[in-house]
Amino acid sequence: MDSCVKIINEWDIVAARQLGRNVARDLGFGTVDQARITTAISELARNIYLYAEQGEVCIEKTESGGKIGLVIISEDQGPGISDLRKVMEDGFSTSGGLGAGLPGVKRLVDEFHIESNPGEGTLIKAIKWLR
Amino acid sequence: MRKLIFNYVQTHKGEILNDWIEQMRQQADERTFTAMSPQMFTKTSSEFIELLISNFTETEREFQAKLTGFAEKIVKFGWPLNVVTLGLQTFRQIVSDGMRKDGLVDRDNFMEFVTEFDHWMFPLNDAIIASYTNTWERTVSLQKIALQELSAPLIPVFEKISVMPLIGTIDTERAKLIMENLLNGVVTHRSEVVLIDITGVPVVDTMVAHHIIQAADAVRLVGAKCMLVGIRPEIAQTIVTLGINLDQIVTTSTLKKGIEEALEMTERKIIEVEEKR
Amino acid sequence: MRIPILKLHDTLLISIQWELDDQTALQFQEDLLHKIHETSARGVVIDLTSIDFIDSFIAKVLGDVISMSELMGAKVMITGIQPAVAITLIELGIRLEDVLTALDLEKGLEKLQRELED
Repeated sequence: MDSCVKIINEWDIVAARQLGRNVARDLGFGTVDQARITTAISELARNIYLYAEQGEVCIEKTESGGKIGLVIISEDQGPGISDLRKVMEDGFSTSGGLGAGLPGVKRLVDEFHIESNPGEGTLIKAIKWLR
Repeated sequence: MRKLIFNYVQTHKGEILNDWIEQMRQQADERTFTAMSPQMFTKTSSEFIELLISNFTETEREFQAKLTGFAEKIVKFGWPLNVVTLGLQTFRQIVSDGMRKDGLVDRDNFMEFVTEFDHWMFPLNDAIIASYTNTWERTVSLQKIALQELSAPLIPVFEKISVMPLIGTIDTERAKLIMENLLNGVVTHRSEVVLIDITGVPVVDTMVAHHIIQAADAVRLVGAKCMLVGIRPEIAQTIVTLGINLDQIVTTSTLKKGIEEALEMTERKIIEVEEKR
Repeated sequence: MRIPILKLHDTLLISIQWELDDQTALQFQEDLLHKIHETSARGVVIDLTSIDFIDSFIAKVLGDVISMSELMGAKVMITGIQPAVAITLIELGIRLEDVLTALDLEKGLEKLQRELED
């Protein structure tokens, strides 16, 4: 079931979230969780487009301890993040956007892992469990 | 040696059972016995001993099934886990004493006896504890579901006005559920004002307040107004002491006042009718 | 694709029927401001009933267009935000403060008329 979307232009953001929404629906997520997943994917894909120029968003199904979940993996080889703690603070934004950013995404999902090194890129893994 | 132990246990079943019940009565704490009648205790005990013996005779799967069934039963009766482990120890003591008395076990083969007996008891011990934990885990998750089902219905009281009474402690998971119920209810009932009644919420800390503020914000986004009612004096005190800002939300002390205000917001009021004779 | 903007007396009506991509959202911002200028509309109702998610970008475009319209003298009413969308926005940390909202188009129009009369 896992599949990926390469993020190169704005349209790929739409493609990524459509893929996410379909997978979420197939896995049996309710409308609110579908919206959370779609939004989280949109935010992550947009981050790639804005900061790294290109990268990839993958959607996978996962199972653990009898629970089913949806995993969003966002990966790029962009400039990376130098101060992870700072970008995870509410209200921090370098793009002049609303500053929802990564802390917002973290609130939308159940698990959120981020790895980033300046000059090497960023890898984000987010999981939403089926209730 | 295994055969020796088995034969002994099989032939002395009755005595072992009586001894075991006798010793258990002396040792185990009282709540084990208040939970069930003496007959029931004897019956359950004999089942327990049978179970221990069947560990010798049956295949693992059959034994496992029996064990799970038995564990569930004693959990239901309220036998604490330590009584069961005590029971295992007592059983071991009785068999060991008995076999020594009969001369089946002496100084020479005692070590062999201990090893074999341990070999037999260890998996049993494990299995019993596992059954207990499983039963507990299932109970906890069932209770969690039951608690979720208890969560917050939205009650339409008048046209355009709904009430959501909250009862009990609010954690993050419940808060999410409450928010969903609240918003879906507002949209289905086409409510313009929704009153969240926190009379039944024991503690309002920063986190609970945060959830309430979020819910009020979300209600505003779907196009309705949110009111917080049922604020008891001690809740008002904690809210102010903690420095929680509820300025954006209309609040009242009682549901009654809240409803009056909600009627006013929707340009209505309750009037008394003079009865004509 | 462009989002159609309808005029009803001194109010502009927009119903967004499909998922917004970035370009459509920006195009809509521009079109709406021009239409307000053209028609001197005093009120705008944007209905989002069919929208099943809003991310921070679209929320920003929406927030901006509301502020811009207000600068041009038109009040904006947002209607039909779905529960799932409202919850997601709040969790993202987007509060859209001071935005006028109503449950549906009908109530939105009523509310807007009242606002304009004040």
